[in-house]
Amino acid sequence: MSQQEPEGRWAIAHVHASFNNTIITITDETGAETLAKSSGGTVVKQNRDEASPYAAMQMAETVAEDILAQGIEGVHVRVRGPGGNLQKNPGPGAQATIRALARAGLEIGRIEDVTPIPHDGTRPPKNSGF
Amino acid sequence: MRVAVTGTPGTGKTTAVERLDTRAGGHAHVVHLNDVIREEGLHDGEDPDRASLYADFEALGEWLDEHAPGDDAVVVESHLAHHFDADRVVVLRCHPETLESRLRERGEPTETARENAEAEALDVILGEAVQRHGADAVYEIDTTDRSPDEVAEEVRAAVAGERAPSAGTVDFTGWL
Ligand SMILES: Nc1ncnc2c1ncn2[C@@H]1O[C@H](COP(=O)(O)OP(=O)(O)O)[C@@H](O)[C@H]1O
Ligand SMILES: [Mg+2]
Repeated sequence: MSQQEPEGRWAIAHVHASFNNTIITITDETGAETLAKSSGGTVVKQNRDEASPYAAMQMAETVAEDILAQGIEGVHVRVRGPGGNLQKNPGPGAQATIRALARAGLEIGRIEDVTPIPHDGTRPPKNSGF
Repeated sequence: MRVAVTGTPGTGKTTAVERLDTRAGGHAHVVHLNDVIREEGLHDGEDPDRASLYADFEALGEWLDEHAPGDDAVVVESHLAHHFDADRVVVLRCHPETLESRLRERGEPTETARENAEAEALDVILGEAVQRHGADAVYEIDTTDRSPDEVAEEVRAAVAGERAPSAGTVDFTGWL
């Protein structure tokens, strides 16, 4: 990993994709410091559109500019949540986000799906999620 | 008619559905799917990180078709209930902060309470329910500031077809 990323700083893009909303938070690699943050509500006024790929894309562009200016070269992506229309894994909001981050000039590293699993002594099978 | 009552653990499914049973004079046939998984051994190992049995969906689907066919009036209650055929799906919701404290009070480990609260904030079960059954079959009920009796009454209304379907009526992402 470190051999492929000799220059520039890397960060983590946390994408929270719920039914109605998408939130993108960029932290440093330890997760301790927040470098940039955007949620669907800040870009699109109409509630129903907050989880849309379009909103996610606009948000991603904004945070990408922000962290590029802070000297970040690339991001590892952590997706939580299936997102609004949830056709495919990860949700369309997450896919649009990742594409927009790449288009803005960020390198994309590992993409992990860390969607929380509801459980209470029983849980769904291993690969039944998104 | 088969109605699935689902929702993140801690939203109050078991509590509400038990009251439903009493109110219906014991006529509503209620299946507690989590009990079935344990008692009938319909699981496939355990997730050691979560101390939770992996449900065997295929075996459970067959068990339900045999013991709870859709031509009877039956309520299937579990956070896994929406993964099976149903005519209607009731999704109980609860603000993540309230959910987390309900689960802690019920004696769940900190990590379990936390992960379920996060799943609730991200609408994981609502999303799955809408994906599988369509928004027309989903009845969302916010239980956050409601008593078990009020929740039971809302569930009854949804089961009886006295209210319209709904999905995405809450946004808990502010908690994240
Ligand atoms: N409407 C409610 N208001 C407050 N507490 C509730 C309510 N419904 C259930 N509880 C409490 O919350 C906890 C979880 O309820 P439970 O019915 O076991 O949820 P589930 O079956 O969805 O996991 C229990 O301790 C229960 O007493
Ligand atoms: Mg229960």
